[in-house]
Order: sequence, then C-alpha cells, then structure tokens
Amino acid sequence: MIVIDAILDRAKISIAKTQNLQELEDLRVSFLGKKGELTALLKGLGKLSKEQRPKMGEAINQAKVSIQTLLIDKKNYLEFIALEKRLLAEKIDVSLPGRHAEMGGLHPITITLNRIQSLFAKNGFEVVLGPEIEDDFHNFTALNIPKHHPARAMHDTFYFDKNTVLRTHTSPVQIRTLEKQKPPVRIIAPGRVYRCDSDITHTPMFHQVEGLIVDKHANFAQLKGLLIDFLRAYFEKEALKVRFRPSYFPFTEPSAEADIECVICSGKGCRVCKRTGWLEVLGCGVVHPNVLLSVNIDSEVYTGLAFGVGIERLAMLRYGVNDLRLFFENDSRFLRQFR
Amino acid sequence: MNILSNWLREWVNPNVTNETLAEQLTMAGLEVDSITPIVPVFKGVVVGHVVSCDKHPDADKLNLCQVDVGGVENLQIICGAKNIRSGLKVVVATVGAKLPGGLKIKKAKLRGIESFGMICSESELGMIDSSQGIAELEDDASIGQDIRVYLNLDECVIELDITPNRGDCFSVLGVAREVSAYYNLAFNLPEFDVFTQGDCAISASVSNTQACPKYLTRTITGIDNTVKTPKWMADKLVRSGQSLHSPVVDIINFVLLELGQPMHAFDLSKLTGDIKVRMAKSGEQLELLNETTLKLKEDTLVIADSDSVLAIAGVMGGMASSTQNNSSNILLESAFFEPVSIAGKARSYGLHTESSLRFERGVDFNITELAMDRATQLIVEICGGQASKVNACIDKSALPELKPITISQEKIQKILGFELNVKWIEQKFINLGFEISQQTNDSWTIIPPSFRFDIRIPVDLIEELARLYGYDKLPVQKLSLEANINTTSEADINQYDIAQSLVNRGYQEVITYSFISEKYQNLISPNAKKIRISNPISADMSIMRSSLMSGLLQTVESNQKRGHTDARFFEIGLCFDGIKADEQSNKLAAIVTGNRFDVQWSADLQPLDFFDIKADLESLLSLTNAKFSFEAEQHISLQKGQTAKIVLNGEQVGWIGALSPMVQKQLSLPKCYLFEIDLASIKSRNIAQYKALSAYQQSGRDVALVLDEAVPVAELIQSVKAMQQQYFVDVNLFDVYTGEGVEPGKKSVALSLTYQSLEGTLTEAQLNAKVDEVLVLMQTQYSASLR
Repeated sequence: MIVIDAILDRAKISIAKTQNLQELEDLRVSFLGKKGELTALLKGLGKLSKEQRPKMGEAINQAKVSIQTLLIDKKNYLEFIALEKRLLAEKIDVSLPGRHAEMGGLHPITITLNRIQSLFAKNGFEVVLGPEIEDDFHNFTALNIPKHHPARAMHDTFYFDKNTVLRTHTSPVQIRTLEKQKPPVRIIAPGRVYRCDSDITHTPMFHQVEGLIVDKHANFAQLKGLLIDFLRAYFEKEALKVRFRPSYFPFTEPSAEADIECVICSGKGCRVCKRTGWLEVLGCGVVHPNVLLSVNIDSEVYTGLAFGVGIERLAMLRYGVNDLRLFFENDSRFLRQFR
Repeated sequence: MNILSNWLREWVNPNVTNETLAEQLTMAGLEVDSITPIVPVFKGVVVGHVVSCDKHPDADKLNLCQVDVGGVENLQIICGAKNIRSGLKVVVATVGAKLPGGLKIKKAKLRGIESFGMICSESELGMIDSSQGIAELEDDASIGQDIRVYLNLDECVIELDITPNRGDCFSVLGVAREVSAYYNLAFNLPEFDVFTQGDCAISASVSNTQACPKYLTRTITGIDNTVKTPKWMADKLVRSGQSLHSPVVDIINFVLLELGQPMHAFDLSKLTGDIKVRMAKSGEQLELLNETTLKLKEDTLVIADSDSVLAIAGVMGGMASSTQNNSSNILLESAFFEPVSIAGKARSYGLHTESSLRFERGVDFNITELAMDRATQLIVEICGGQASKVNACIDKSALPELKPITISQEKIQKILGFELNVKWIEQKFINLGFEISQQTNDSWTIIPPSFRFDIRIPVDLIEELARLYGYDKLPVQKLSLEANINTTSEADINQYDIAQSLVNRGYQEVITYSFISEKYQNLISPNAKKIRISNPISADMSIMRSSLMSGLLQTVESNQKRGHTDARFFEIGLCFDGIKADEQSNKLAAIVTGNRFDVQWSADLQPLDFFDIKADLESLLSLTNAKFSFEAEQHISLQKGQTAKIVLNGEQVGWIGALSPMVQKQLSLPKCYLFEIDLASIKSRNIAQYKALSAYQQSGRDVALVLDEAVPVAELIQSVKAMQQQYFVDVNLFDVYTGEGVEPGKKSVALSLTYQSLEGTLTEAQLNAKVDEVLVLMQTQYSASLR
C-alpha cells in the first residue's frame, strides 16, 4: 500500500510539474504504460495471497484512475494553453477591409427606367420596344402629324432621307403595337429618342417612356388616376400634389400636361421650378380618333389613353442632378454615385 | 406671344389680379410662361411742371428749379440734367418716394441750397436700361398726376406659350375671347367708322384661289407718313416687343397684334400694272425687307405686279415696293391665305415672321374686312389721306368649310368619365362663339367659328368643355382592369437580368450616343454600311453606330483623361445595319482595362487579361443553357491571336478579344479587352427538367494526353461531350502544359473524366471500357497519345 501511495504522490508531483504534452505522454507511459510502474504492480498481483489480492488490486486500480484523471485534466489544460497560444498568434485586425472585388452599377437612366417599368408592370402593362430609325409614317403621319403640320417644326428632326428619321418620340411604338395587336392593349414603350438640339438643357439624344391603353371603357378620369398614382409612387410621396393642364399634342384630344408640386422646394417656389412651385413632368391625353383610324380601330367603340414621360427629367428630380449632359458624359465619378 | 395686361383689359376686364388671370389662363390651356411688370414697383412720383429754372449760384452744372407738382407751394428742386429747362413737364420724385433701385428721396442740401425732391430720367424709373437726361413729358400731362397712372406703368407683359392648334390666340382679340369665355364676360370690339371714296385705282386678280381664297386691297392716297406714331400706340407696340418704324408700318403691326390679321402696305408709286396673286415662276428673285435676296421656288405663292414679284404671300414683303417715310400713296392688302399653302414656306427660306406664324396656324377668314377697315381708320386718323373702296377677290368655295359637329352627353361621359351640366355646356359653347345649330336634351350640333381651325370633330368639343371646366376638377378614377395577367415566359431572360449579371461582376453600365464620328466608324467597323444623318449636330455625331465598341472606347478614353485607369464598362443598345426596322438590333458590349482588382492590402496588382473578360462573358452566357463556342478569328480592330468569334448554333453572334495595338495607339488607350454579342442570342434559358439522382458512387479517371499544340482545347472537350457516352457525367480540364518533358510543338492536356450509373457502382472493367473509348477517339481524331 505504501508503495502505491508513493507512486501516486510522485505521479501527482510530476504531472503538476509537466509543461508540455510530450512530457505528459512520457509520464503516462512511465506510470500506466505496458512497462509502467502501476502495470508492474498489477502484474505482481498474482504473487499475493488470495486475501490480499482483491484489496491490493482495488488500490492499484484506484490509483490508476486517479492518475488517469490527473493526466486527462492536465492534458486538457495543456491543450487549452496551446490553443490559446495559437489563437493569439493567429489574431487578425478584423477592421481590415475584406478582399475586394468591386461591384459595378447600372446607369441612372436604366435605374429610373427599371423603376418605372416595374411600377407599370404591377398595373398589367407590358413592355414593348420599337426601332429608333423610323419612317415618316410611324413617327408623324399616323400620329396625326401630316406633312406641313406646325408640330413638325417643333420636333427638330434628324433625317436620313425625306422619308426616314430618327424617332423624335416613343409614340411611333403606339402605332407599331396597334398594327399587330387588337385591343385591349396596355403597354409601355421605353427607349431612346432624338432631337436635333444641343445646349445646356438639351441633348440630341434622350429617353422617354410611352404608355398606351386601348380599351372599351378607358376614359380621361382613369388616365388622371393612373398618372397621379404613378407619380406618387415614383417620388414615394403619398400626398404629392399633381395638377393637369390643357395642352396640345396632335395625337391626343383632349391633351394634357401634368405638373407636380416642386419636389425640390415642396411647392414654395425655387430656381428649379422657376418660382412657380410646379414642375412639368409629362404629357398625356385621349388618343386622337385619327390615330386609331390609321390602325383601323373604331374610335366609337374603343378609347385610347396615352402618355409620354421624359426619363432624364424624372431622374434629375429624383436624384438632384442639375445638369442633363452628365447622363451622357459617362464620367465614372458621376456613375458611381448611383451604385 | 406677349400680351399687355392693360391692353387686354381694354377689351375684357375680369375682376382678378394679373397674377390670378395668368394662373387661370394657364389652367384653361393658354400657358403663361411669365408675367413681368413693365416697371418695378415705386411710389411718390408725380408729373411736375418746371415753373422756373435758374443756375445754382455756387455750382456751374446744377440748376435751381421751382417745380409745380399740384401742391399748395411749388417745390424747390436742384437738378443737374442738361435738358432741364423752364416750362418742361417732368417726372418728379417727391420727398419720401422710393425708386426702383432702392433710392429713397430725402430733403437734401446741395452746395448750401435745399432741394425737395428729384427730377427723374426714364432709367431711374426702371423703364429703360439707360437714358440721357431727364424724361420730357408731353405738354398736356396733368400736373400732380401719379406718374404710374399717367404713363400707364401698372401694366404687365403676359408671355403666352401658344400651342400650334391655337393660332386664333395670337392677338389681343383672341386672348380677350378666351378670357371672356372663361369668365362669362362680354368683350368689346373697338368701334370706328371709315369713310371711303372712289374705287381702288389698281386691280387685282388671284390665279390660285385654293391658296388665296380672299384677297382685299384698297388705296389710301395723300397720306403724311412722316408724322410721329402716337404715344399710346408706340407704347403698346414697344411694350409688346415690336420695334417702331413709320406710322403706316406701325399701324399694320398694331392691327396684327390687335386683331391677329397680318397685312401689308405697298408704295403705290412703285407698282406697275395690276396686282397678281400667283405661284412664283422658276428663276424669279425677290429682295426682301430684311435686305436678303431670295431665289423663289415654284411652290411659293407670291404677290406680283406686271413687272416683278412684290412679296412672298403671307411671309414677307419686298424691299422695292415697300412704304417709306416719303410714301404718300399706298396700297393696303388684307388677305386670307390658306394654312397648308403657307405652312413650311417661310422655314424653307430660313425665314420666320409674325405673318407666316399666324397664316400657317390659321387666321380668321372672316376678319379680313374688319382688319382692313381698322388699319384704314388708323392710317387716315394718324397720317391723313383718302381711302378708296375695297377691291375684293373672293372665292367662297375655296374658303374653309365650317361643318357642323354633333356631340352627345353619352360621348362626353365616355371620354371624360362623367356628365357635364347641360346648361353649363350650352353657356360655354355660346361663350366660345360656337353656333348651336341644333339640339336635343342630350346632344348638340354646333358650327365652329371661322377663327377656330382646330375644332373639327366631337372630341375637339369635349376638350373645349373639359378645359373650361378645369382639368383639375375633372374626376379621378381607377383604371379598370380588363387586360390579362402579363404572360412572360419563365424561359425569358430580360435585359435587367443580363445587366445585373455584369453589374455583379464589377461592370458599370454606360449610355453613349447612338451616332458616332466617321473616324471611329472607320476604325472599328470600316466595312459596315455608313448610315449617315443628313443634318447631324456635328461631324462627330453623324454616323449611326454599327457596333457599341466605339462608344465604350470613347468612354474609356475620357475616363483615362480624368485619371480613372481601371475600368469595366458595358452598354446595351441598338446598333444599325440599315434604316429598316429589321436592320436595327440590340447588342451588348463590354470593355475592361487596367488591373484585376483595385489597389488593396490583401492582393497584388495583376493586369487584367483575355481570360478575365472571357470568364465574365461565360458567366453571363450561363444564364442560358445554349452552347456557345469560341473560335479563333481575326477582327480589324482586335489583336491577332487574341481574338475569337462567339458562335451559337453554327452562327457568329459576337466577338471577344484584345484591342489591337494599332487602334490602341491611334486612340492613345491602354491595353483593353472587349466583347460584343447580339442580345437576341441570350434571350432565353431552358426550363429545368429533373433527372434521377444516382444512389451509387461516381467513378473518375484522370488522363494526360499529348497532342499537337494547335488543337483548341475547347474542341477536344466538346468532342468528348459529343460522344454522349453511357454513364458519362462530366469532363474537366485541369492542366495544360508545354515545356520540359513534352516534345516541342506539342502540349500536354490533363482531363478528368467522371462516370456514374443509376443501377450500381461501375466496375473497374466498365470504367476502363468507357475511358478507352475516349482515348481511341482522341487518338484517331487528334493523334493524341497518353502521356
């Protein structure tokens, strides 16, 4: 028994002293290994008397368990220390930026177009596209703008030949759609349009979204309702004031222009709204019977509603851009602001 | 068109301020662009009479005046103006007055003598920008009267933006008519009498009565055209933006503004023979009033005498026959020219006149006579002279036809979405000058007036009613949903998905002009058809692009100049192979230049290369399940040996490559890589079809093949896939090696082949058999041997 106690005491001291895992393993071997001290004692049990054997056996086993516990505890402790040491060594500055692959971005005009398209998509409008080089018929004549119409002079048209132009508006898509599709029709047509005009407030190319509804029960009141909803949704202002003024477009009758309360000064009057408190944002109206006639639709049965929105204008108002030309200079400092 | 508020109010005078009037006109369809007072606000300024004017005892340049301003005592005022003199009627700012510039008039002492006010110039009142000396008023100015009243300064210029359909509003009369209709007020036509004697001494004939249904002339003889245009008329003209000429011309301009009828006066002594209204003959020329000489085109209606052309009808008169100050006998013309025959003529000669503007949009064909008499009356009143009777050439059948139009309450309801009050409708028709020729309980037949060229069909009447009712007061309704649910296919790849896939890989979208310079076109696509704009903004924007590459290169170029050396840009837009609709198609192009990553602590700078942009394109193409292939090819602006065409189903759909060093040098650009692809080739994806998953292990085998260096690896892989072997899962390329251990001219290609069966794990023998099939193909097709 004394021997066992002595072994146990030595084991305790040695294990406590040990500072690394290898030493600990060596200790395990020297006490509990095949040739270890306790193992040797176990092997010597056979030499003991029947009475002594169980007692001694139990004492050895107890010592074995004690030493094993000590070894495991120490091992856990040493492993913990080693891990701590490693973690300290592997510590990083988590405030450093991540490995960086830059995201790109969409052009603000595309962002604006996408927003408009998704707002109208919710109302069942389909997106239709048309050619940008147009013939006179689709760009003018079919839209009730015959040759010599004063409105032609206002369009500053780019020509290729007498009969071929760069479309001056997205309205020809109305005609192209109605040539192919029978009512009910509910479309929007976004795209580039062109006018032969270039100065601080005009670029020779810009974007419009055309909208067209042809239906048996469409009316001007619905057009007002739709456009008020659209403008409020676009500017995310529930109580945005919208007013409709009589205007003139050859392809609509009645025709209207819609103004919104200036979003810069909230209608108080500023430089952007020329102190009027109002901003003109779109043109609209009931499709002129001559336009429906040009695509063989009976205006006694069907009513058309149409509207046209200038995209640059809406983008400028929404994002506070004060120079139209920035949209086509593609300066990355400008474009990055929309990421 | 500028309208003077007080002039308008002489005709019709609604009880609202000018600002409210402007606002309400805008809301009724006559858009007011601006409303500007004639002069800024000031007060305490009156008419004074200089009773005496003596030199200041202590100052050579100053005068000591006693001025009667209608008060108990005369005011002592010191004035330095050169034109001050005794007896003059002047403008006096009395003590306490505040002038437009902010100047406050106080009692002052000048060189020891007190001054009680200031005698003003017109510029000090803000009437004009600069003036020499003090204002000299007419002798009949009444002493003490507020100068704003005397000079009619409480007036605004209302600037109207008149839409092309409302030619009738280019006059005080026209605007007055609108105001009267809106406010339910009667308006006053000027009243006058004209005394005539004898027939018009010169006869006139019209050969093209379709273009000129009505042509009136009259002579006025013995006038004095040297007199001064009266102040009341001169003020109206100048404030409306007209310059002053001789009285006859001023009167014609006045009638133009008042009634909207353009007229013309010829000097009778400069005419030969009869007046003929006819089409111009080839070779005829005319020196215009603006001193330019035009070669006339045969489609132009002209006024001629027996010798030569006198004027372009409805556009501008000629120099030779024009009235001058010394003209004493004139021929006055008032005509109706049909709009379509005048439309575009002025512009085709580079002209734009007050006359052509009105005739193009339509002048009231029933006002011709009234205008003639109005001008005659004013000429005789101001210049004296004797007016003849009117010589009238009228072809009634050629005058515009005023067809009745019927409108029903039902139609109004259909278009506007609600019914208008019957009484109100009738009142507005009457106010607008529409004659109701027939009516029932709920329908009206009206005949439009001769000044409304824009009222032809029922919806025109609806617009009239709607705008007078007020668009803002019209009801608002929800759109009735009759349309079907949008049918978009799951297979459709929309433009947004495509753009977003590039954005996610670091690309910035740009929008460049669709027209480019010839230089770029020649550089990028010299063989493409040049689609030239006949009237471009500039030579740099004269050719429609056949490729998006030019815009991207320009974008890189301009951003390089600003110091942005790393760039990934893309654009989606139409490119043009011709002017027909089906020759215009959307393309997508992208460009990269600079380093793979921006400068950062965790990565070294590595220049971008071909395989970076190709990876981005491949990622984009993986939106579809289509099998695109890349085949080495040459492109004029891309680098030889680093360029491929993109092929889909055997057809080329795009390009990818490095910018050719030559183009790079010409444009001073860094190394760039580009691709361009027809957008239509990425428009749809396959809809997934489930295939059973195997419960058994997959087996693989790596093989290294040695083969000719020229064989494109993509082809090798494609041909393995094309075998469509049983159990085949995939083939992966994991190494390409040339160098030591591999014979020159050859390369080693390492492929990993995987197979799997649904029925069980493949045996070694089964696997070997599959791999052997591949090896045999490689051997026979590419002479490839196992390394």
